[in-house]
Amino acid sequence: MSRPADSAPGRAGLALAGEPRPRTAAAPRRIAILGNPNAGKSTLFNALTGLRQKVGNYPGVTVEKKTGLCELPSGRRAEVIDLPGSYSLQPASPDERIVRDVLLGLQDDTPPPDLIVFVVDATNLERNLYLALQVVELGRPMVLALNMMDAARGRGLEIDEGALERQLGVPVIGISAARGEGLGHLRRLMDRDVEPSNRHFRQWPAHLKRVLDRLEARLPRHSRLPERARHDFALALLLDDGEDDALARSVPPDALDDAHTLARRLDTLAPGWRSDDVEGRYETIQTTLASAVLAPGRQRDRVRESIDRVLTHRVFGPIIFILLMGAVFQSVFAWAQPAMDLIDALVGRFGQLVQNVMPAGPLRSLIVDGVIAGVGTTLTFVPQIAILFFFLSVLEDTGYMARAAFIMDRIMGRVGLSGRAFIPLLSSFACAIPGIMATRTIDNRRDRITTILIAPFMSCSARLPVYALLIGAFIPNRWVGFVTLPGITLFTMYFIGIAAAIAVAWVLKRTVLSGGKPLYVMELPPYRMPSWSSVALGVRERVVLFVQNAGTVILAITVVLWFLASYPHGGDTRALEAQRASALASGHTEQAALLNRQISGTVLENSFAGRVGRFIEPAIAPLGFDWRIGIGLITSLAAREVMVSTMATVFNIGDSPHDVVPLRQSLRNAIDPRTGRKAYSPLVGISLMVFFVLACQCMSTVAVVRRETNSWGWPIFMLVMMNVLAWLASFAVFQGGRLLGFGA
Amino acid sequence: MSDTVSRPDLERSLDRLAPGESGVIARLDCEPAIARRLMELGLVPGTSVLLIRRAPLGDPLELAARGMHLSLRRSEACLIHVSPS
Repeated sequence: MSRPADSAPGRAGLALAGEPRPRTAAAPRRIAILGNPNAGKSTLFNALTGLRQKVGNYPGVTVEKKTGLCELPSGRRAEVIDLPGSYSLQPASPDERIVRDVLLGLQDDTPPPDLIVFVVDATNLERNLYLALQVVELGRPMVLALNMMDAARGRGLEIDEGALERQLGVPVIGISAARGEGLGHLRRLMDRDVEPSNRHFRQWPAHLKRVLDRLEARLPRHSRLPERARHDFALALLLDDGEDDALARSVPPDALDDAHTLARRLDTLAPGWRSDDVEGRYETIQTTLASAVLAPGRQRDRVRESIDRVLTHRVFGPIIFILLMGAVFQSVFAWAQPAMDLIDALVGRFGQLVQNVMPAGPLRSLIVDGVIAGVGTTLTFVPQIAILFFFLSVLEDTGYMARAAFIMDRIMGRVGLSGRAFIPLLSSFACAIPGIMATRTIDNRRDRITTILIAPFMSCSARLPVYALLIGAFIPNRWVGFVTLPGITLFTMYFIGIAAAIAVAWVLKRTVLSGGKPLYVMELPPYRMPSWSSVALGVRERVVLFVQNAGTVILAITVVLWFLASYPHGGDTRALEAQRASALASGHTEQAALLNRQISGTVLENSFAGRVGRFIEPAIAPLGFDWRIGIGLITSLAAREVMVSTMATVFNIGDSPHDVVPLRQSLRNAIDPRTGRKAYSPLVGISLMVFFVLACQCMSTVAVVRRETNSWGWPIFMLVMMNVLAWLASFAVFQGGRLLGFGA
Repeated sequence: MSDTVSRPDLERSLDRLAPGESGVIARLDCEPAIARRLMELGLVPGTSVLLIRRAPLGDPLELAARGMHLSLRRSEACLIHVSPS
């Protein structure tokens, strides 16, 4: 196992062609890491590239593209691509489609790599070797890295790497990516030009061979497809289900039609043709392993058995799951709060500093109230994202996440989703943004989009201040049995969100996002200790992505909202300003503060936002809202809790915490100037809360959905769908309530 | 593994196995694309599978085959036929 892999060039009939060629000025070597999910690909990628990583998307799809730089022993640099985890070259998800497209040379932005490092879990060789054989057959240069050799040795498993090399025709090396074992040898191998294997493992049955030959003749000759892979390409065409755009684009349309006709003919002639090659490969794997595995080791994993007996137990399993999720959820809430307050305070302090340094004027206002406040809003999300993703990656890396999905699958299946959708939805109670980012673990595209679209219905922590204000203002603190009316109201708001999510998911899965019944099959990996450096890198990556992508959009939106709320300076504030100056001069600070608030109120009232508030009044009047609430709805587009401070400005009240009580009173006692009666009844409060439950107001969420779905279509759909739903629900609440006599 | 003589009268669908009981896959009656996928994951005819447990709510199932554990819904498992091992 620790034998130097480079001591035997050409051994076992495979050619490691020559010594590393020092090509200093040459472009970096392009090396792809490939393998099954849970084989330790990402751990190896992190070990090779460290912090020199870049994350983006493959164009047009939501699949993440991770690349990193790695120094090779010769001094040459390598660009390492971490390809998505995959089980087969016959793709079942967008991730697997990318892998096939890269290897077949169909992916324009990612040409086939110079070398493939294929990572297999040494403790799970049989299934892992399936994809490895498919890739060997393509005839691309490849190195087979047997990962987790430490765990394999611990079990008493012994593998003859030389025998495996001879059978597969590619260099084989034992490593442990988590412990850094064998990585030096791997780097040296990565430096060499490895000859592709010449092995063929599949025997095409005669009828299939004829069809493949015929299709092959129709294929356009393109330089990136190795000669030997042309049969695989033809088979992909034959197996095409008509939903594979990349494949359809790569051939003339009549060739694809031809393939579909031929496939139907084969179905009657040779019914098993669609999986003959699969059986063939598993037979090869069995004969290969019969000679290469010297000692099979212990088959039973007692650690796994005893942990699973508890974690997936009929009674304890769900209880532990609920407790664990409760703990995660609570820590996202509780642990993030001090950090969020700190960021808020620092941003505030910084804003104050700039305020003092810069001369008064529109530029200062833009920088302090627009840019700094906007960046501050973005940054306060960071603690929640970091904490949530820390827990999520620990749960994922230990193997618990798969068990959680196993436990929840039945419940989520009722609305047409898989168990994997549960955790993103739960996370969304803290904040929909990390929740939506967490949907990446859902491999079915339709399920993932459905989950993204319903996640914002979960009442997030930003709605809580709004609920608290409105409940405090309008719901009497009365005991009903053993709960209070405010408690029931708060619970109802959370419940309405969940009910809406279920209903919308149900409808979406039967309409826009319906389609072929996906196969729900999931691997339950063995329990492992997480690699802390990988967890840290993962958290860092999420935070950086959020700040980069959502940050820019959120910043832009905040600046626009700042502009709307500050311009034009229509109202006459000069008289008030003069009064304030004289109040300050005579030391009446309290009166000056009051005048200050009156000035802000006047400015806001006459601003574009105020005008829009008045303009939309006819549209929101049927919900019981007047133009003042309208202004709040506009400014809460920056973040929902901004509603509270906007109301404070509108009613000329400071927005510091000890001013909440007067704000509640102001809301209760607000007068409608036209009727002279109270403007807001408790029914308006309830209608407004229902609106906040269902409406898509958070532009940060829209920005994240745009990034995660890689389209503008879905975020716009979400915006329209949620707001129409919110309007209808508030309309029903307000008008229904009035009919029942609750209007006063 | 595959020396078992096919005895259709002894075949059961995979979801009928009791936890702790094993069988040998005889055939997959799912639609071709799904059958191919399940086979690519290692569930080819002739493979010995062990039903480990059912999820707390009765669905999905956890099964072990070829040294790995898979979770499969009953709607798919009922289309996989196994013969006694």
